[in-house]
Amino acid sequence: MTVASQVKQTLATLKGARATLGMYTAQTGDDETQSVYTNSLEMTDNIISDLEDQLKTLEFEEPQYKGN
Amino acid sequence: MQEPLAVIIRSLSLFFLVWLSIRLIGKRNISRVKPFNFMSYIVLAIVATLMSLNLVNIISGFIVLLTWLVLPIALDYLSIKSEVIHQLINGKETVLIKHGKIMEENLIQLRLTGEDLLAELRSKNIFNLTDVEFAVMETNGELNAYLKSDKKPVSAHDLSQKVAPQAEPQTVIMDGNILNEPLFSLGLNQEWLKVELEKMGVALENVFLAQVDSSGDLFLDLFDDAVELPQPKVKELLYASLQKVQADLSTFSLQTDNKTAKGMYLRNSQKLQDLLDKLRPYLLN
Repeated sequence: MTVASQVKQTLATLKGARATLGMYTAQTGDDETQSVYTNSLEMTDNIISDLEDQLKTLEFEEPQYKGN
Repeated sequence: MQEPLAVIIRSLSLFFLVWLSIRLIGKRNISRVKPFNFMSYIVLAIVATLMSLNLVNIISGFIVLLTWLVLPIALDYLSIKSEVIHQLINGKETVLIKHGKIMEENLIQLRLTGEDLLAELRSKNIFNLTDVEFAVMETNGELNAYLKSDKKPVSAHDLSQKVAPQAEPQTVIMDGNILNEPLFSLGLNQEWLKVELEKMGVALENVFLAQVDSSGDLFLDLFDDAVELPQPKVKELLYASLQKVQADLSTFSLQTDNKTAKGMYLRNSQKLQDLLDKLRPYLLN
């Protein structure tokens, strides 16, 4: 497995986790919990965008594995 | 009028009258009722019995009933207004243990023996007298004890552990019937419930009880106990997948030779660790 596909897998897991977190943010009734979840969502978004940028660099470096 | 018929009619009307009076006197646990109210219950019962058997004059019976109904209510109101009257009617609570020492004179005043005190403490699951810092006999005869600070049950605060706030769960299905009011108070509707049940593969008729907790997860109990239900583990799974991502990022940071990529992985792995620490009380509880 190439580095790029490994990073892709991690990114997918993180995106899945972000979706679940988003669901809990929507359905929780407590304000404090909700604000913690919202904060976490922002943080996860930052990490996701960092990883996506890294993925672009990796695919630029190893174009032969692009799409794997 | 025939005598039995008259007795039946009198009994029935008095039954409703006494029932109404007792509702008016207030809602209290009968075992914890104040001695004064207990007395009015008994008087109401006896007078009602005598009246239904026609042993007392109906008119004077009504007067007695009314007096014993109005007096306790009036005294209750007065004791809300005035502390002096409250103490006069209900008495004052008595301190039995102070700073871990038994107040013998107060025990004697209440005509309690040491054994009585120990028995009362044992009923509160306190077997060791040295654990008690303070104990008081309430006016309704109940003993309440305050434990020494090192003998108190551990709370999350003692462990300086953060716990997520949790509101009470709402019961949304009882005996196979959907309860609308609790559902609406959570901002959910019947459609949501039906979708959730379908996801779990359960028919509404088979659900004895269903509760939704404050984070919106649904817990079911079925009539058919042979069916094993998957209990919601979404939060635990979420925590685990975040942990996995965090571990992956650390691995990447070790594998790569690129300085900027290494820094990025390390930074994000640290960020995710902070996030996990913050989310832990909310996701794992």
